[in-house]
Amino acid sequence: MTDDKDVLRDVWFGRIPTCFTLYQDEITEREAEPYYLLLPRVSYLTLVTDKVKKHFQKALRQEDVSEIWFEYEGTPLKWHYPIGLLFDLLASSSALPWNITVHFKSFPEKDLLHCPSKDAVEAHFMSCMKEADALKHKSQVINEMQKKDHKQLWMGLQNDRFDQFWAINRKLMEYPPEENGFRYIPFRIYQKLGLSTLYYPGTMQTKVGLELRERDLPASERYLPAYASPVLGIKTTTERPFIQKLFRPVAADGQLHTLGDLLKEVCPSAITPEDGEKKNQVMIHGIEPMLETPLQWLSEHLSYPDNFLHISIVPQPTD
Amino acid sequence: MEDEFFGEKCFQYYCAEFIKHSQQIGDGWEWKTAKDCSDGYMCKTEFQIKNGTTPSHLGTPASVHTGFPTEENLELPVDDSEVMESAAASKVIKYEYHVLYSCSYQVPVLYFRASFLDGKPLSLTDIWEGVHECYKTRLLQGPWDTITQQEHPILGQPFFVLHPCKTNEFMTAVLKHPQKINRNVNYITSWLSIMGPVVGLNLPLSYAKATSQDE
Repeated sequence: MTDDKDVLRDVWFGRIPTCFTLYQDEITEREAEPYYLLLPRVSYLTLVTDKVKKHFQKALRQEDVSEIWFEYEGTPLKWHYPIGLLFDLLASSSALPWNITVHFKSFPEKDLLHCPSKDAVEAHFMSCMKEADALKHKSQVINEMQKKDHKQLWMGLQNDRFDQFWAINRKLMEYPPEENGFRYIPFRIYQKLGLSTLYYPGTMQTKVGLELRERDLPASERYLPAYASPVLGIKTTTERPFIQKLFRPVAADGQLHTLGDLLKEVCPSAITPEDGEKKNQVMIHGIEPMLETPLQWLSEHLSYPDNFLHISIVPQPTD
Repeated sequence: MEDEFFGEKCFQYYCAEFIKHSQQIGDGWEWKTAKDCSDGYMCKTEFQIKNGTTPSHLGTPASVHTGFPTEENLELPVDDSEVMESAAASKVIKYEYHVLYSCSYQVPVLYFRASFLDGKPLSLTDIWEGVHECYKTRLLQGPWDTITQQEHPILGQPFFVLHPCKTNEFMTAVLKHPQKINRNVNYITSWLSIMGPVVGLNLPLSYAKATSQDE
């Protein structure tokens, strides 16, 4: 087990080199140079981009500054997903640095949650933690903790303190020795849609909407189309964002369930048939764990700080 | 299964029963199935006039466009139809209520969003202003624990949510008595009659009667 502890550190200290660029249509008073940052995989965009915000705000007129949001190749980035998940799902096959576009206007109300302050990130993070413990221990562990323990988990993440975070988080990773694992494994599986489905879900309106800019539309239509936000021709989610089901770490016969077992059960399309060509990558923290890996081990070692395993299914790069 | 307090099958059954009665009284609830899977949710769209503190319920969407007189727009000059329209539009709010099942907590969860007629969504602050005084003090003690904006797990869009982590606790208490006297209770009716009014969703009493008559 001593070696496995290194895995926790490697996961925690994973970084993604990122280049932030201001969206071209934002009106600036002076030139806004791109801004480079190493983003922690396990954190959240709105938690680690204070410097980015300050940098670009300097170039903008005061009256043009409203809530900041981020976009990658036309997709608004959900700040409530961990950074590493966003990268694996949307950008893992492209070259580094990761090019993120920064916006201060036309907040995509249909796609993104508002993030008025760090309190919103904390609330979201703690609610994920609680949900994970509801699955793992019927909420017993998280409910028995004191308020200061909850605070320590959050502060550990916010200040990037591995030891501070894990001093408490290890309690959430325990289970009765006679059980061989958690009650259920907290996981979410995300699938990158094929480009064609993203752009043209079969409606002319979407196609038209994509070519329109917000300013070309009458005020009454700015927020209306639910299927495609007219802003920037941005791709929107009209599909279920992830798969989440109840899944036990141990089978009825006592065998440990593996990552492969999980996929077979809840997302069979992700698995390559025995004689077929590999079409998908199954990714956690930028790597492809072997499908034979026990799920309980993955849950203890490759979960994000919110205690969920966030698994990305992305098309196999063709180059 | 040993820990199925309120399983998904149970949820779907009670929703179906609830919708049956809704159809009888024209209350507008319906079932939506998610694409490419078996889960779904129960939903209702309602238009409300924001009239000071007491919202009046409009019922069907059609009645909104008939432009019936409210105090405000009666006072406006008759020839200025544009002004009148926008004043009326800003007062009518479209509420969408969705009831989903949370497999993690094994309870139903109330999601909702609200927008003005021009499509502009209401913010969390707007929502808070609409919460009735009698709930405010209780909710304000920990606002982030109660109403938050979250991703709708089936639609992937931002909705407001009343957090489900206490639901099991209070529903156990609510269901204890009727179980003792062996009375038929629709979980969804009882739960929604507690959660709904906090965010402007009121249930006609006939839902409760319908369940006890089914015995």
